[in-house]
Amino acid sequence: MQQISEYNRRRIRMGIWFSAPAVIVLLTVLAYPILASWVLSFLRVYFAGQGLSFRFYGLTNYTELLTNQLFREALLRSIYFTLVEVIVVTFLALTVALLLNHPLGRHAFFRVVLLVPWALAPVANAVLWKWIYNANYGILNQALIGLGIIDRNIIWLGSPVLALNMILLADIWKAVPFIALLLLAGLQNIPSHLYKAARLDGANAWQQFQHVTLPGLKTTLIISIVLQSIWALKVFDLIYVLTKGSPADSTVLLNYLSWRVTFSNLDVGYGAAIANVLFVLMFILSLVYIRALRPRKTKEKVG
Amino acid sequence: MISYKHQLSRFFVRMGLAIFTCVALGPVIWAVVTSLLPLTALTSRPPDLNPLNMTLENYGLVLDSSRGLFSGLINSFIIATFTSAVGLVIGSMAAYALARLNMPGSSLILMMILATQMFPGIVIAIPLFLVMSRMGIVDTHFALILVYLSFTLPIVIWILKAFFESVPMELERAAAVDGAQPLQTFQHIVLPISLPPLFATGVFVFIEAWNEFFFAIILTRINVKTAPIAIAEFSGQYQTLYGQMLASAVLASIPVVFLAIIFRRFILEGFVEGAIKA
Amino acid sequence: MATLELIDITKKFGAVTAVDGFHLKVEDGEFVTLLGPSGCGKSTILNMIAGLEDVTAGAIQINGKTVNALGPFERDVAMVFQNYALYPHMTVEENIGFSLRLRKRPKSEVQEKVQRVAEMLELEKLMQRLPRELSGGQQQRVAIGRAVIREPSIFLFDEPFSNLDAALRIKTRGEIKELHQRLGVTSVFVTHDQEEALSLSDRIAVLQAGRLEQYGSPEEVYLRPATKYVARFIGTPQMDFFSGEFIDKEGLRYKVGEAEIPVPTLTRLPEAAFDAGVRAEFVSLGQKGFDATVRLVQPVGPFTYVTVDWQGGSVTARVNGVSHLKPKEHIKVDIDPQGLLFFDRATSMRIDIL
Repeated sequence: MQQISEYNRRRIRMGIWFSAPAVIVLLTVLAYPILASWVLSFLRVYFAGQGLSFRFYGLTNYTELLTNQLFREALLRSIYFTLVEVIVVTFLALTVALLLNHPLGRHAFFRVVLLVPWALAPVANAVLWKWIYNANYGILNQALIGLGIIDRNIIWLGSPVLALNMILLADIWKAVPFIALLLLAGLQNIPSHLYKAARLDGANAWQQFQHVTLPGLKTTLIISIVLQSIWALKVFDLIYVLTKGSPADSTVLLNYLSWRVTFSNLDVGYGAAIANVLFVLMFILSLVYIRALRPRKTKEKVG
Repeated sequence: MISYKHQLSRFFVRMGLAIFTCVALGPVIWAVVTSLLPLTALTSRPPDLNPLNMTLENYGLVLDSSRGLFSGLINSFIIATFTSAVGLVIGSMAAYALARLNMPGSSLILMMILATQMFPGIVIAIPLFLVMSRMGIVDTHFALILVYLSFTLPIVIWILKAFFESVPMELERAAAVDGAQPLQTFQHIVLPISLPPLFATGVFVFIEAWNEFFFAIILTRINVKTAPIAIAEFSGQYQTLYGQMLASAVLASIPVVFLAIIFRRFILEGFVEGAIKA
Repeated sequence: MATLELIDITKKFGAVTAVDGFHLKVEDGEFVTLLGPSGCGKSTILNMIAGLEDVTAGAIQINGKTVNALGPFERDVAMVFQNYALYPHMTVEENIGFSLRLRKRPKSEVQEKVQRVAEMLELEKLMQRLPRELSGGQQQRVAIGRAVIREPSIFLFDEPFSNLDAALRIKTRGEIKELHQRLGVTSVFVTHDQEEALSLSDRIAVLQAGRLEQYGSPEEVYLRPATKYVARFIGTPQMDFFSGEFIDKEGLRYKVGEAEIPVPTLTRLPEAAFDAGVRAEFVSLGQKGFDATVRLVQPVGPFTYVTVDWQGGSVTARVNGVSHLKPKEHIKVDIDPQGLLFFDRATSMRIDIL
């Protein structure tokens, strides 16, 4: 016979009222659409006159995905893009974080420097790089010609492989600051007495890095890799502003493809199917990484 | 005596920091410089960077109301402010409920929140677009704010929940003993102590909402074009007007960069703690 | 003014029982202490009295009315927390007046009452300060002021001195006692410091692992502890115990090893086995008694506690003033039979043998 005191009863009641608005919003704008997206992918949607009509399509949208060459290429490109971005960004961000953790780098100025690329709108970033990559007047060409590295202007966004990688470069430039901040926080969380102990044990700088820094950063590194991969898969603004998918659809990535299929080609069901594939991809990624995080925790408790 | 090795490493660190600063700020500075030069200076080879040529004419041209940037800025401001304000109000309440008020089903909600960080916007954009066009609310501020809440609310709740959990339980108990109802405790005790993270989160949401592009192009047509859309259009329509193109990008970025710099301490601390706790 | 009664209180956290079948009755105006080590459930009980924790089973009655379902404010209790829990963003004045402002009392009333409380606790000069600008002792007085202004039926104190240094503790102890004498409000005080309990309380409830061991006045728990646990917990230094047996040899004696201590108060030979305990003030060193070797000499100002090894193990004697004994010296230790307390070896309960 447990009697709940008025104090706790009130708190539970308030808890429900307090969280209600947020829960309602999230259910409407998040939960419902996610479910709807799955339903849509099994339909073929027609725009008939003023409205829409739906016809059940079964798995046709998905089988179409598998046979569609554009989809396959976009998938491969997305994977390539994500892989390269995660590796390069992590490496660069770690370097920056280490620099900023050094006594010389502790000044507030450097943190401001970090925040500027982060705060820029991805669209603004895209415009910026569009200008830099401009074939005739962009500074990249001007600088390279001036330094004698090339003798003619390169059309950076004109050839398939090059264009994709230039987009990659622009995204890397924007992504490094935030990840660097994350890693910097992780670095600062490593207790300094661990370094002192290592130094007393005779470890040099590289060994200290190997045995104190890297293990201490493990969780933060994993988190930043997860975040980075998810953001890389979501790339859109850069493609929209820089290439719109050209030349010859060579810069079309999954997210962009889904959007184009739905809103330009008006094949809503198919677009939803692509979106769901992207969703599943990210979901699996997150699961893999969460699993990578968990065993470490239990090991810590036992050890 | 600083050893030679030590001096060498300091040299490398200084080099590294210098390179980092140039690479990080270089493009931005170049963008600003470009925006201050007339077209003729930019299209001559090599570009004529004479400071005497600098002018604000690009900015003037770009803010001409027919170009859509000015109204874009206003729309972005409205949407970002409301998203931030509404997000803070209902998000902080939900965060408090999850942190303190023994809500049934709280772990489920937390899972949901974690999950929202891990999927592409396109998944919800398509159904939402369909529903909203049927309801006729496409191209309204309301629609965009609502959708922006979908990805900012989880962040608000996540960060604030962690903070509220760090407020000592004793404080709230003392308030209860003094006669405060939970709402009063929240209002008079918890919120006033939480101003820094509240601010930081609000600024962060503002920046995210302001910079958002994807949902904006899907859900707006003519009336509610935001600043990012205006810039994107510019870069398509007037792409040979380089100076103006960059002026528009700079203008649309000034507010958020400005906010980020002013509130940097809040953002850096708040973020970093939130990320670690995740 | 109020009476408080806890009837068969049980508190479970999931599978763990923190408090089991606890009974307590506090009379009007009494100062009662819940005493015990960390984790014995005393703070849990206090929170249940306050209404901040739910009761798993049992009833809490204030003035004869069951208040289980009421919140802390409705029960008319006020509490002083271990870490003071002062509202960090409010000044001293705002902290104290908070409960009145919540009830929308007129400004003049709030001001007047806050002023009176401040004077009582000597806080007038600190009214505009923020908690972080105050010392530990000052913060505590503000916390007390916040409770006092409520004019509650019951005061609750949750180990309020644990964050103060030794000298301040003793000073504040005196202030609390004076406050109680002045206001006469029924009070329940929680602490693990037995000295504090002895000096402040009308009655002490000694707890172990969620159960009540003894409930009595300071004199009772000190001189007539109900169990070995209470005997060991109360008193500085700790009571010494030894195992021996009763024998009948020219009168009833307690035999420890080869030593035999006469026990004049015994009337007959007990049947069960008993351990004995004695406090340092009943142990003396000198020329007569049992052989012993000095182990430790600890001066504490007015006394010196000398621990010696003898046949019964080790025992501590209280010597007046300064002792010149050194470790490893041989001396004789004598135990005053008046000070012997006997505890049933099986049940640990003390037996009153007349």
